[in-house]
Amino acid sequence: MSPGRLATAWALFQALLIEAMPFLLIGVTISTLARWLSPGGKWVRRLPSHPVLGPLTGAALGFALPACECGNVPVARQLLATGAPLATALGFLFAAPVLNPIVVASTWAAFPNQPWLLVARPVGAVLIALVLATLLARLPESELLQPALLEERRLVLPLSRVSLLERRSGVIGADPLAAQALAAAARRTPRPPLAEILGHGSREFIELAALLVFGCVIAALVQTLVPRPWLLAVGGAPTLSILALMLLSLVVSVCSSVDAFLALGFAAQVTPGALLAFLLLGPVIDIKLVGLFGVLLRPRAILITGVSAVLVVLVIGQWVNLWRL
Amino acid sequence: MGEPVAAVTLPRRLRGGRWLRPLGLGLWGAVLLQSGISGRLDLLLRAVFHPLVWISGVVLVVAALLELVGGGGVTPTPRQRTVLLLGVVVAIGVLLVPPRPSFADLAANRGRELLDEPGLNFVVPPGQRTLTEWVRLLRSEPDPKLHAGDPVRISGFVLPVPGDRPQLARLLVRCCLVDATPVGLPVLWLPGRPLPQADQWLELRGVMDTERLDGQTRSVIRAQAVRVIPRPARPLEP
Repeated sequence: MSPGRLATAWALFQALLIEAMPFLLIGVTISTLARWLSPGGKWVRRLPSHPVLGPLTGAALGFALPACECGNVPVARQLLATGAPLATALGFLFAAPVLNPIVVASTWAAFPNQPWLLVARPVGAVLIALVLATLLARLPESELLQPALLEERRLVLPLSRVSLLERRSGVIGADPLAAQALAAAARRTPRPPLAEILGHGSREFIELAALLVFGCVIAALVQTLVPRPWLLAVGGAPTLSILALMLLSLVVSVCSSVDAFLALGFAAQVTPGALLAFLLLGPVIDIKLVGLFGVLLRPRAILITGVSAVLVVLVIGQWVNLWRL
Repeated sequence: MGEPVAAVTLPRRLRGGRWLRPLGLGLWGAVLLQSGISGRLDLLLRAVFHPLVWISGVVLVVAALLELVGGGGVTPTPRQRTVLLLGVVVAIGVLLVPPRPSFADLAANRGRELLDEPGLNFVVPPGQRTLTEWVRLLRSEPDPKLHAGDPVRISGFVLPVPGDRPQLARLLVRCCLVDATPVGLPVLWLPGRPLPQADQWLELRGVMDTERLDGQTRSVIRAQAVRVIPRPARPLEP
């Protein structure tokens, strides 16, 4: 690489990083606050369990708890542990990383001249959440959720849904009311002090900043090194461009609050369907999320999530290409 | 025999790599603040985002100070320590090595789709129009002869065009340097002088003219005076 090219790549890297970092900070701040105000209580169990209304309600919760996908996983775990219906919790898990004001704002900031993207991205995220929630809800909870989470969840679910034997909580034979009081006491943990909250937020920021650096390096190098005719050849092919951008979103693993800025680097060279596919798939599944999902789902459920998300996004991307090209 | 020299040690609360987290936060905050102070933001980002960068820089520095006072939180694992060290090295690199992009290189790898900003201003006298305003005006009007003879006074960087004379160009951005789109005007450079070099910033005085190329008439600037200028503080245009 010539020194001039290297200098340009370095400048692009800095531009991406400095542009995205404030949005990352906002996302982490909100996810930290969301964890501090972590949802619990009876209202969670009253959320709808309807196969369509549930995911839609979960998706809408993203506006109340606007975290990116990394901050979202612990909140979704808390929802499940406090007895939220599966449909709602899964809807929240898969759609809320896109359906929140920070992500909408960053998408608008990156693509102010493409209003269709501001509509298509949330709509696509809801569609994906509906499909994934419907598929995963067909699995028994014992095959879907991690054993530790399942035990926590069964403690708060009513006895009409979970038998005492399934609870395995050491309170078998005790007065059911006492068992519920025990579970409720376990939930009433005091809010952590401010220093702990700050520490958690800063840890999250530093780790995500490292991922952001990685993503910015890839985007800057691709923009500078890959010749434009190559980018146009791959990016101009309807299906190939979608597959290429989906692969990129899986590898880059960048947070949904800043992924629009990375997409900006490829926007001029790829089909609109590929652009949307990049923005839809990353928030649902990527390399980083596979690890995070381990606290929620069993491996089989993670596999179903990954494969289904890729297929749904591919279909959405193709449809958008038919519509926009 | 002198007194034994006391080894410099960190306070106990910051041992075990716990200093790395506040250092990382502080450095990223410093990166954002220094970008504003040094004027890098003008080169990298559209102005509308600058306040957000300043505020984030201040927040990160304050968070770093609070972490430092609080002892850096839990001791990082070896993996976290590696990530933290990597972040520290990159942040120091960004602080020390300023961006020096080649606008010509950047433009060569981009499309020429003009941003559809509602910025057309027909009231500005021709001699006061910027390069971008000229490009927008010429693209909005199909007849190049309409402006032939108008005085032109513009500045921009030299953009080599394969198979053609170098153009004078500017980069337009919606968000940051990453989505920069070049706009340029063909120039009939001063006769008998060597063609300008790529990336040179020039101020050009001349008149609008037309020429035939590939059977079509296009607008071209006939240069009368060309002066080399330093890159402007705000080289990107919306």
